[in-house]
Amino acid sequence: MTKFTNFLGKLDSLDRRIIFLIIAVVVLIPLLVPLELPVETTQLTEDAFNALDDLPQDAKVLLSFEYGPSTKPEIHPMAISVLRHLFSKGNQVIVMCLWPDGLFMANEALELVARDEFGLTYGEDYVNLGYRPGNEAVIKGITKSFEANFSVDSKGVPITTIPIMHDIQTAKDVDFIFSLSAGYPGAIEWVLYAGDPLQVPVSSGNTSIQVNQLLPYVKSGQMRGIVAGMPGAAEYETLVIEKIMHRKGLLTEKALTLLPNFQERRNATKFMDAQSIAHLVIVLFIIIGNISYYVKRKNQRKY
Amino acid sequence: MYIGILGAWIAVFLTLSILSYLYEDNVFYKLAEHIFVGVSAAHWATIAFWNQVQPNLFGRLWPRAEVASLEGFNKFWYSIYHGLHVLFSKIFPEDTVNGVLYRGIGDQPQNMTYIFAFILGLFMLFRLIPKIGWLSRWSLAYVIGMAAGLRLYGYMSSDVIGQIHATMLPLWTGNLGDSINNIILIVGVLTGLFYFFFSVEHKGALKVVSRVGIYFLMIYFGASFGFAVMGRISLLIGRFNDLIEYSGQQYGFATPILLVIMIVVLIFTTRKNKKEAEEA
Repeated sequence: MTKFTNFLGKLDSLDRRIIFLIIAVVVLIPLLVPLELPVETTQLTEDAFNALDDLPQDAKVLLSFEYGPSTKPEIHPMAISVLRHLFSKGNQVIVMCLWPDGLFMANEALELVARDEFGLTYGEDYVNLGYRPGNEAVIKGITKSFEANFSVDSKGVPITTIPIMHDIQTAKDVDFIFSLSAGYPGAIEWVLYAGDPLQVPVSSGNTSIQVNQLLPYVKSGQMRGIVAGMPGAAEYETLVIEKIMHRKGLLTEKALTLLPNFQERRNATKFMDAQSIAHLVIVLFIIIGNISYYVKRKNQRKY
Repeated sequence: MYIGILGAWIAVFLTLSILSYLYEDNVFYKLAEHIFVGVSAAHWATIAFWNQVQPNLFGRLWPRAEVASLEGFNKFWYSIYHGLHVLFSKIFPEDTVNGVLYRGIGDQPQNMTYIFAFILGLFMLFRLIPKIGWLSRWSLAYVIGMAAGLRLYGYMSSDVIGQIHATMLPLWTGNLGDSINNIILIVGVLTGLFYFFFSVEHKGALKVVSRVGIYFLMIYFGASFGFAVMGRISLLIGRFNDLIEYSGQQYGFATPILLVIMIVVLIFTTRKNKKEAEEA
């Protein structure tokens, strides 16, 4: 027993590299050998999903990309799921970016979903307005005029000549704003400068680290739910697949044909195995760390 | 094809280089760090210039126009554009369609008020010339003033008023669960605010209120830490997923080869450094 308590007492001086190695192994194994753990949806994600699902077929949704490669594993699966959801219903999507890297993320997601999966027409079903520097000033700007801030789209085409933009003069003309946000500028700025002043519903898919900052806006009704981190992305993937499988609400014929593809390509769900196991190990580390701390303190008192 | 393979090798090398810092500070990490800083700055500047400055600033000052139709001030104004075209033809393009010469960028209407933005932008660059560097303060003053005004308005209406309004909740809603939630929220807000109220000493009953506030803050920090860990693990999963993808034959076994090379080099340099330290 004494040997064991001594071992526990010495654990606090364990080389940190061993901990890194253990975390690497527990993340790697579920990625190589998927466990297919079930995904339970939460109210936060369901609220965001339902808010978009309740939009009519002719609704136009503004999707803003505010993330880059560093947060791609968390947010990109959400972007793909939200685009699949909206296009499955026949909604039109206007994409813009407040982060320079967002442009590449948006292009990648649109090429996969809008062009390759749904075969939609650029300029009629969706448009990518591209990136504009200026942070919240850009949001404030489009509450007055899109054209003043985005004279051309990401391909250099004047937005006055793009069919989808013909009846969109300001942010008030869109039916919903969805921010794919990894920080500043992001979801909070959309609430402050567009959602609240114009009374346009706002929701967000965001990184885990932002969740605590955004929950007050959800609680107050300033945001319609949030898709929170990788678990949120996995839940959204599940909700989109369930909607198509059970033919709930508004749905196009094309969406039904794409169901097997959606079921196969579920990145966030696949990643959640590794996330869950890593969390368990970290919880274990915290418990062992605390036991080690108390044992060490007790031993120091004895001598 | 080859570009894809090269891209995979670069991605694997940079990922492993950054992760190698977990072992110890080393040459791979330093290299990857410097590349990241340089490429990020250049990438941001390039995207901002071609997405904003060129179409939205120059495009509004000099929208595309037929040279023969220019008259008065615009004739002079577009001659400046022609001078700029001679110096930087890609930024200030000119083209000829059916024998008609056109100058300018895009089809938006001309807006000369953008000249103030142009001048303030130039002032910002004067920081590079110490003698007239003071002019950049005017640009900064504009940016700070505009940002402060914009944020004040947003925070006042949505954060202060919106959040106070959202906290005015009934203590009894008819539903036990909702009522408990409302009570916790109101007690949390009041005690949390009181913890930061330092005009009276926190003792007696006030100490209890303050202590309750600390517990709420602790719960907030704990939840934030949990979410932060979740976020970091997600990023690790993303990188590992790419490393697994690039370990296949179609990418020339990039991950295992680079991993072995890096481990060998790190062991060699660690031993060498240790030996040098012992000799010293």
